Amino acid sequence: MIDRFGIGWRPALAAGILACADRIDVVEAMAEDFVDRAALATLRALTRTLPVTVHALSLGLASTIPVDEERLAAVARAVAAAGAPAWSEHLAFVRAGGIEIGHLCAPPRCAATLDGLMRNLRRARAVVGAAPWLENVATLIEPPGSDRDETAWARDVAAATGHPLLVDLHNLHANSVNFAFDPAAWIDALPAAAISGVHLAGGAWLEERWLDDHRHDVPDPVFALLERLAAHASRPLTVIIERDGAFPPMGALLAQLDRARAAVARGRRQRVLAGV
Amino acid sequence: MSSPAFEAFLALIYTDAAARVRFVADPRGEAQRAGLTPAQIESLVAIDGRGLELAARSLAAKRRDG
Repeated sequence: MIDRFGIGWRPALAAGILACADRIDVVEAMAEDFVDRAALATLRALTRTLPVTVHALSLGLASTIPVDEERLAAVARAVAAAGAPAWSEHLAFVRAGGIEIGHLCAPPRCAATLDGLMRNLRRARAVVGAAPWLENVATLIEPPGSDRDETAWARDVAAATGHPLLVDLHNLHANSVNFAFDPAAWIDALPAAAISGVHLAGGAWLEERWLDDHRHDVPDPVFALLERLAAHASRPLTVIIERDGAFPPMGALLAQLDRARAAVARGRRQRVLAGV
Repeated sequence: MSSPAFEAFLALIYTDAAARVRFVADPRGEAQRAGLTPAQIESLVAIDGRGLELAARSLAAKRRDG
């Protein structure tokens, strides 16, 4: 089983990533950063140095509102330019009623959202040509209109869509801290064969709740969750560290990548010992 | 329970400080005036108020910082 470990591609990290490409297996490019012709050419060039996966954040797939066709077409162009066998999006809504929220929002966890998600995924598969990996999101508010908890929501999404899952372990950690649920039970509720990607990041307290801010190092509990996930997941994992501000020296990011490799290795050994 | 109108109402109170003040002062009335269903209205009356405040603050910072 070949697990891959990489870093989210950001302009501020580009030089460091390229200088350390021998220690990085893969980079994750944001689809929304590669829209015009010149940017798509840059993305194509990047694939000659490192494998690239494509990550989108503007589609708002987990919504009763149909996905925007122009945004979907732009993601399709980025996925094609990257030659990426896989792409990913969030289980979020990002706009409604003509309002751009400006970030990912946890949707109402209910049947109507699940129906909207299924419609949007059908359209996304048709336009992009591949099924997106679906990522859990962080939230500071219990989504109004929900009739199930986050563990049931993740399990229901996995069962209904059959799509690969991108498990953001810092989002899981943050939500479990803020809303007092067991993150290990959340992991165990997922189908082992669906878990394909992992995001790692850091955060900070926003008063009494833990904020996913991508401006801090990956905290210890997230590495513990990574070990747990690697013991549960049956497919190779692509593990990406996301950093969007307060950028540390490249050596510090690589050290976190090494910690991620070690955590996955421990989890994989547990699978072997358990005979699964 | 969700619908485009419900999501639009959430988007409004997450992003518009004045609308949020009106909502916090009278959640049932604001939700009724938006034409939401009884179940949607009840979910908003029971909203996680602290979460709404912190989420709105975080979203505003993310919009500002890009």
